[in-house]
Amino acid sequence: MRTLMRVLSNMFLALSALSFAVPAFAQGGETSATNWVAIAAGFSMAIASAGCGIGQGRATASATEALARNPSARAGIQFALILGLALIESLALYTLVIIFAKVK
Amino acid sequence: MTLATQPGGDNFYDRALERMDRLMLVIGIAGATTACLVFGWRIGGGFALGGGISYLNFYWLKKIVAGISELTAGAASRVSARGVVHRFVLRYFLMALVAFVILRVSRESLYGLFAGLFLPVGAVFCEAAYEVYRALRRDDA
Repeated sequence: MRTLMRVLSNMFLALSALSFAVPAFAQGGETSATNWVAIAAGFSMAIASAGCGIGQGRATASATEALARNPSARAGIQFALILGLALIESLALYTLVIIFAKVK
Repeated sequence: MTLATQPGGDNFYDRALERMDRLMLVIGIAGATTACLVFGWRIGGGFALGGGISYLNFYWLKKIVAGISELTAGAASRVSARGVVHRFVLRYFLMALVAFVILRVSRESLYGLFAGLFLPVGAVFCEAAYEVYRALRRDDA
């Protein structure tokens, strides 16, 4: 399990590093203009994803702790966790939609 | 009203999740039909696809949360921790793959797809409204 988590975290680190390879940086020449909108979109998506990741992690950690303390409240905790995770995920989707609407 | 169907009872939470499943189906079908009629089949198809993905995503999310709670509570479990993690990651890859394919095929469908992905949020709001209505009716009675 620990090995799997390490592999996954390495994979996500590599993906996040690759996401900085913006094609705009590779375009040389005197006429190239920096596409700040695209860069800002990348950063906003990264911030949103990080926020949602932290939120989901905290929600899951709290729920598992509560479950371990009080297993009889399992149904209620499970329900709250499902709703919480679904709503937190939708926040990242909001950001993605705004990026697609604004970045041409 | 029995104790099991009151807020806090196990049955209450199971029924709430079942209602949300049904609400997602109803909103998805109604939304896809409306989008087809008003905006055309491309956006309607995108909405239907997005709704299908979000329905599957929500179903897997429920399974994953049930798996986590089984593992945490130490119940006799059929799920493995590795399977839970794999499913959790697979959801994101599936969504990214479909979005990429749709982006290549038609940008119009992508807007429909995004709208469809918000199906669980719509279902949660409908369920919340229903709960408020039920609570107000209980107070009146």
